[in-house]
Amino acid sequence: MEIQISERVIRVQVVTLSGRFDAFSAPDVRQQTQTLLAAGEKYFVLNLRDLAFMDSAAMAVLVSLLKGARTAGGGVTLVKPKDENALRILLLTKFDRVFKMVEDVDTAMREVINV
Amino acid sequence: MRIAIVSTYPPSRGSLNEYAYYFVDHMRQKPEIDEVILLVDELPEGAAYPTPPEHVKIIPAWKFGALDNAMRIRRAVQEVNPDAVLFNVQFATFADTRVAGAVGLTAPALVKQAGYPVVVLLHNIMETVDLSKAGFGANVIMERVTRTAGDMFTRAILSADLVAVTIPKYVEILEAKYGATNVILAPHGSFQDAPPPQFDPNPSVLRIMAFGKFGTYKRVEVMIEAFKLLREQLPGTTLELVIAGTDSPNAAGYLESMKQTYADVPGIVYTGYVAEEDVARIFTEATIVVFPYNSTTGSSGVLHQAGNYARPAVLPDLGDFAELIREEGYTGEFFVPENAASLAEAIRRYWDNPEKRQADSMQNYLSSVGIPISEVVDWYLLHIERLLEARAAKQPS
Repeated sequence: MEIQISERVIRVQVVTLSGRFDAFSAPDVRQQTQTLLAAGEKYFVLNLRDLAFMDSAAMAVLVSLLKGARTAGGGVTLVKPKDENALRILLLTKFDRVFKMVEDVDTAMREVINV
Repeated sequence: MRIAIVSTYPPSRGSLNEYAYYFVDHMRQKPEIDEVILLVDELPEGAAYPTPPEHVKIIPAWKFGALDNAMRIRRAVQEVNPDAVLFNVQFATFADTRVAGAVGLTAPALVKQAGYPVVVLLHNIMETVDLSKAGFGANVIMERVTRTAGDMFTRAILSADLVAVTIPKYVEILEAKYGATNVILAPHGSFQDAPPPQFDPNPSVLRIMAFGKFGTYKRVEVMIEAFKLLREQLPGTTLELVIAGTDSPNAAGYLESMKQTYADVPGIVYTGYVAEEDVARIFTEATIVVFPYNSTTGSSGVLHQAGNYARPAVLPDLGDFAELIREEGYTGEFFVPENAASLAEAIRRYWDNPEKRQADSMQNYLSSVGIPISEVVDWYLLHIERLLEARAAKQPS
């Protein structure tokens, strides 16, 4: 009998956002997440739980990150915002059907491992 | 992926042609796209579509005003057999008459029946269109009949797999009124990578510009009356009013009649059709962009362009614009629709205050560059991929 033991490590970038995610803050989030993508990171958890507001400019940043992560063979999982003002844009755009969206970071981590 | 797009496209002068031009140009460059097949309207005799760019095929497949457009479009789709079909339409895309216009709007349902995934980008919805001003309601009874028919055809459009609209309120209206669950918000997007904004705090000419297809809900009479008031109020200033564009397909001869009616007013420039290569110049030469609308039929591509070129916008106090501004971060000075004095005052508020003009121009610029159309195309592609995956999952293995 032969036993082979290997270790598999998946690096996950957990990005936690709070406050307003809009046209004015979106460029900063975009720059930071694109820097991570460029550095080779491809698994992301975006913790949106404490966001107070999100608009379509913010949504565009998430879409751009999802495209980049998928192209690299990874993925993006969202932690659902608690505030309706932040959740609204996800529901209006129906991106709740495109992104994996879960209730907390722990569940999001399990989702990422299942990618 | 091979995608068929049913739309107008330059040099066709039908509405949404410019949107289609930029949308297709970005879509064809996406790595997941093998081919974009444009199913466009037939041009008048003697005119021809240019050689399409790489990964694009142009097939004239319907005719503005014809009654058989829906059937022709379905046949054309079956011939090219794409992976998915996208309609870039508004209520008057297929005709300027009620029957032909409405029958044309059954095309998405027919194409879906033929077995293709269908996405409709609907630039306006009947619920917010002032039919009489849009050229579709000759009297109250006809307007009511048109609206009832509009409800029926809206339901037909909603039979598509996805219906995309550009204003949040439209999603909510369609969900509430029709119980739709397949309506998505997809931003209009800015047409191109915007150049760095240029701002001249002391221009030698107050050049007021309106851009579009005129004669239905975009009318120039009130704007010209406001221009006359400004000429009286600013005797030492060189003023110019640029009316950039052509007649709406529903209002042939309108601008010619305006030229004759206001032949005695100096300083008015009618540009006629504005070619793609001249659009940037027309916007950047304008001091202020005016939206002389008495109602709206949807989101405004012109507002996005004004933002793209960092221009201040003078807007009618109408619901859609207020909604768009709030949701997408634009700003402007408002006037009471169809009130020349109010419009002149709104223009003066910008002209007399260069700091405000600059600040608002910058805000519009930042908002317009927020979501370039290349990213909006990604939104559609993600949804189309989801539709195709769902279909594949349903296929028996």
